[in-house]
Amino acid sequence: MMEMGDWWRRGKWRIMVMLTMLHIVGILIFTRGFLLTRTELPYYSNCSDVSESPCFTGQSNPYQNQSNSRCWTRPAVDRLVIIVLDALRFDFVAPSTFFKEPKPWMDKLQVLQKLASTKRSARIFKAIADPPTTSLQRLKGLTTGGLPTFIDVGNSFGAPAILEDNLIHQLASNGKRVVMMGDDTWVQLFPHHFKKSYPYPSFNVKDLHTVDNGCIEHLLPSLYEEDWDVLIAHFLGVDHAGHILGVDSVPMIEKLEQYNEILDKVIEVLDNQSGPGGLHENTFLLVMGDHGQTINGDHGGGSAEEVETSVFAMSFKKPPPTMPSEFDTSSCEMDLDQKKTCISSFQQLDFAATVSALLGVPFPFGSIGRVSPELYTLGAGTWNLENNIEGNCPNQKEEEWMQNYCNVLCINSWQVKRYIDIYSASSVIGFSSEDLLHISDMYAQAEENWSCSSESLLLFKDESCYSSLPLKRKIDAYFKFLLNVAELARSKWTEFDLKMMGIGFVIILISLPIYFLAMMTKSVNGFSSLLFGDSEIFVKLVFALFMVVIRACSFLSNSYILEEGKVASFLLATTAMFKLRNSIKREKMLVEAIVFLLLITILRFTIEVGLSKQAATSLFMSTHSSWLVEIDPGHPVWIYMAEIIPILALIFLAYLLYIIMARSSCHSIWKYVVLGTILCYILIAVHWASESDVLSSMLMLQGIGRNFIPRIIYAVGLGQLLLLAFSPLFHKDRDLESKMHLLIKTLAMLSSCSSTIIVLSGKQGPLVALVTITGGDFFYLYILVLLT
Amino acid sequence: MVKASTTENPSQSVSPMQTFFIHLICGVGLAVGLWVAHNFYSISLISNPSRTLRLIWVTMCPLVILFYSCFRKNPEKCSYLKAVIRGVLALPIGALVNALGAIALGAPVGIQYFPKTVNWSLLMSLFTFVPAASVFGSSWEDWRRIFAHTKPNASVDYMICLPAHGAVIGAWFGAWPMPLDWERPWQEWPICVSYGAMAGYLITMVLSFVLVLPRGRQQHPKAD
Repeated sequence: MMEMGDWWRRGKWRIMVMLTMLHIVGILIFTRGFLLTRTELPYYSNCSDVSESPCFTGQSNPYQNQSNSRCWTRPAVDRLVIIVLDALRFDFVAPSTFFKEPKPWMDKLQVLQKLASTKRSARIFKAIADPPTTSLQRLKGLTTGGLPTFIDVGNSFGAPAILEDNLIHQLASNGKRVVMMGDDTWVQLFPHHFKKSYPYPSFNVKDLHTVDNGCIEHLLPSLYEEDWDVLIAHFLGVDHAGHILGVDSVPMIEKLEQYNEILDKVIEVLDNQSGPGGLHENTFLLVMGDHGQTINGDHGGGSAEEVETSVFAMSFKKPPPTMPSEFDTSSCEMDLDQKKTCISSFQQLDFAATVSALLGVPFPFGSIGRVSPELYTLGAGTWNLENNIEGNCPNQKEEEWMQNYCNVLCINSWQVKRYIDIYSASSVIGFSSEDLLHISDMYAQAEENWSCSSESLLLFKDESCYSSLPLKRKIDAYFKFLLNVAELARSKWTEFDLKMMGIGFVIILISLPIYFLAMMTKSVNGFSSLLFGDSEIFVKLVFALFMVVIRACSFLSNSYILEEGKVASFLLATTAMFKLRNSIKREKMLVEAIVFLLLITILRFTIEVGLSKQAATSLFMSTHSSWLVEIDPGHPVWIYMAEIIPILALIFLAYLLYIIMARSSCHSIWKYVVLGTILCYILIAVHWASESDVLSSMLMLQGIGRNFIPRIIYAVGLGQLLLLAFSPLFHKDRDLESKMHLLIKTLAMLSSCSSTIIVLSGKQGPLVALVTITGGDFFYLYILVLLT
Repeated sequence: MVKASTTENPSQSVSPMQTFFIHLICGVGLAVGLWVAHNFYSISLISNPSRTLRLIWVTMCPLVILFYSCFRKNPEKCSYLKAVIRGVLALPIGALVNALGAIALGAPVGIQYFPKTVNWSLLMSLFTFVPAASVFGSSWEDWRRIFAHTKPNASVDYMICLPAHGAVIGAWFGAWPMPLDWERPWQEWPICVSYGAMAGYLITMVLSFVLVLPRGRQQHPKAD
C-alpha cells in the first residue's frame, strides 16, 4: 500500500480533486433534470384574504346583503358526498359505445350511465390525473390542487401528513364537519381533520373485501345522519382486484357489480331525502377515481390508461341546473339504450379549486387549478334570483351565471397569481423570469380595468340586451391565464429535463476512463501486481464485480425493481456464503461469518414485516397475520414501546461507537468524525422524543423547532464528509498500519452517512432504524474483534 | 477397482469408465424418478412438487449411496456398510444445511412450504453432501479441500466436487425467474430452483467425466 505522504507529495491529489469535481458537477446537473423539486410553502388561505383581491371592488356589492356569511365564493352546495373508487378506469364508467370495442368489464356501473343519460343534473366526466399515479400522491394532488413531485421539499421529514394548505384543512378550519371511511391513507395524510373517521388498513393487496365492507357498513347509515357536511368514502376493491388478477378477471367484474348496487342504494337514499326541508336538499354527489390502471392492474406511471379516470357528478338540488353552451366541451355518443350521453373532460388539478368554490371555503394556498365551468355549473347552476335586474332580457339567467362565474374566476386567478408570486420569491428553484413575465402579462390582460360586477356591466349594455360578450371575453382571458399557469407548472414539476440528465450522465461517464488511466500508470504498479499476482484476490475481485454487474442488470426489469428488497438480500446472502466458504478455507473468523449469515436472515424477516403494500403479501404476514391481529395497536404499552425502542437502540449504538473509539489508539481525525456521529445519534434521539406526544410532555421537550435538530445533523454530516475527504492533508507523515487504518476509515465513513439516513427515515422508520442498527451492528462487532 | 498409480493414492484412483458409469447411474436414477412420477402417479414437478421431489430422491438415494460408497477413501479401515451408514446419516444433516442456506437466500418460510422445502433440501443433500460423506466420512481435511478450496486432486474428487458445485450454482441461477411477473406456475418455490439444480447437476456430471478422461489416459501407459 502506498504511503499517504508519498501520494501527497507526488501531486496525485490533483487527480482525486479533479475526479471529485467531475462527479459533483455531473451529479448536480443530472439531478437538476431528474429530481423534480417543488417547495411546499407554509402559508394558508383565509376567508379574509379576499379583501386583498381586485374582485368585488364595485360599490354596490350585489352579494353584500346576503344573510348567509360569505367567504371567497358564495356556497352553492351545503353537503358533499365524495365516493372515491381507487383505480377506477375511465372505461369502467363511460358507456362502451365511446370505445372501439366493448370489453367484459365495461358497462358494469349501469346506474351511473343511466343517470348521466337521462338527467340533466348528472354528468360523467373524463378526469385526467397527473403522474405519479399512486394513491398517496393523487390524494395529495386532489386535496392541495397542486402537482406533487418526487421531492416535495417541506417540513415533513418522513411523515406522510400533509402540511401544505389543502382542501380538508380549509374545510375543517371553516366549520365544515368532515367524516371519512375506508382507506386509512386519509387518516395518515390528515391526522386531525376528521370529525369522525372509520379507517381500515389498506396495505394487504390480497384482501379485496375488508375495506369495502367496512365502508359499506358505515356509508348508508351516515347518509341518514345530519352531523356532517362532507362525507368521504374510499373503496379499495377495484385497485386490489386489479393488482392481483388484472382488469379482465371475474373478481374485478364482481366488484364492479357490487359497487353498482351500493351506488344505486346511495343515490336512492339521497334522492328520497332531497325534497324541500330534507336532509339532502342541497347535496352534491361525486363518484370518482383517484387514478386509472393498466390492463395488468398496475399504476404509477403516465400512460393513458393510468392517467384517465372518471368523475361522476350529480346534484340533488331541484330544479336541475342549466349551463351556457359556450362552455360545454363535451363529446356525445349514443349509449346502448339509444340515449345520448355526453362526457365532458376535467383535470384533477382543478378538483380542489372547484370543490372549494362550491362549498364556499377559501381555495388552498398552493392550488393552481381553475374552477371547472361544467362541474361548477352542475353544483351551482341555478341561482335564486335575489338580485332583480330590471328588464325582460331573455338571457338573464345566463348572464347571471356568467357574472357569477366571472367573479369566481377572478378570485381564482388572483389566488393563483398570488401563489406564483410568493413561490418565485421564496423558492430557490423558481420559474424562469421570462415565464413569469409572460404570466403577469396574461393576468394583467385578464384583469383589465373592470370587474365582473353588474354595475360595470351596465356600461356595456346595449339595446339588444345581449351584454354577455364582454363577460365572455373576460372569462376567456382568465381561462388563458389559468391554463398557461397549469402548463408551466406541469412542465416544471412533472416532466423530466432530459437534456440535463443526458449531460450529467455523460460527464460522469467521462470520469471512467480517467479512473482507468490513473490505475494503470506506473506509479501504481504495486497495486496492479498485487491484483493479478495473487489468484485468490483475483477471484474475489471477479466475484465482487459479478455481484455489482448482476445487481445493475437487475434494474433492467420491472419485477426486479419491485422486488428490490428480495434481490438485495439474495445477493447479500450469496456474498455472506462466499465469505463463510472463505473463512472455512482460512480457518479464521468462522463464528463471525455464521453470525453474519444469521443476522442477514433475521434482517430479511424484519424487513418483510409490513413496510409496504408489497411486503404485506409475503409469507410472514399471511402465516403470522393471526398473531398480529390480536395485538391491539392502540394499546398504550405498544405506543410507549414503539416510541422508546428506537431511541434506546440509538443510544446503544452510540455507546458501541464510543467503546470502539476508546479502544483504538490513534487517528484523532477519525475519532472526531465518530464522535460527531455519536453526538448526532443523541440529537436524533432528542428530536424523536420531542416529536412524540407521549415523551415530550414527560421530558418537557417542547419548543424545539421541527427543523432545528435535522439541520444541525445535516451540517454535522456534511462537516464529517468534508473532513474525511480532506483528511490526507492532515496525515502526511503518519506511519499507519494499513489494515487498521482502512477499517477505521470505513467506520468513520459509514457513521457519517448513517445519522443523515436515520433522520430522513423519520418517524415512519423506527423499524428501518432498527434494521439499520442491526445491520451495522455486525460490522461494528467485526471491527471490534479485529481491534482487540 | 483399485489400480496402482504412481501419482495417486491407490485407493483413490478411479478410471474414467467408472466415473462414466456412476454418473450414468445417477443421471438415470434422476430420469427414472421423473418418469415414474409422470407415468405411475401422473404428477410432475409443476403440479405436485413435493411428491415428485420425494420420488426423485427416494429413487436416487440407494443408487447414490451404494455406488459412491464403493469409492470410499480407506477401504481397509472402514467397511462398506460403514460408508453406507455414513451416507445415510449425511442425508438429513445435509438437508438441514441446504434448507438453512435456502432460507437465508430468500426461500419462503411457513407451514404450507414445509413439505416442499424438506423434499427439496433432501434432494439437494443427495446431490451435494451424501457423495462426499460416503467417500470421505468425517475427514474434515478432505471436506475442506473439496468444498472450501475447490481443489479436486484425484478423479474421485472430481466426481464429488463438480456435481455438488454444479447443483448449487444451478439452483442459484434457478432462483432468478422467481420474482418475474410472468404468472407461470413453475415460478413458485421450489420448482424452478429444482430445475436449475438438476440441470446444473447433469451438466457438471458430464464436465467431471470430461475432466477425468485425460487422467485416465495418463494412467494407462504407466500401468502397462
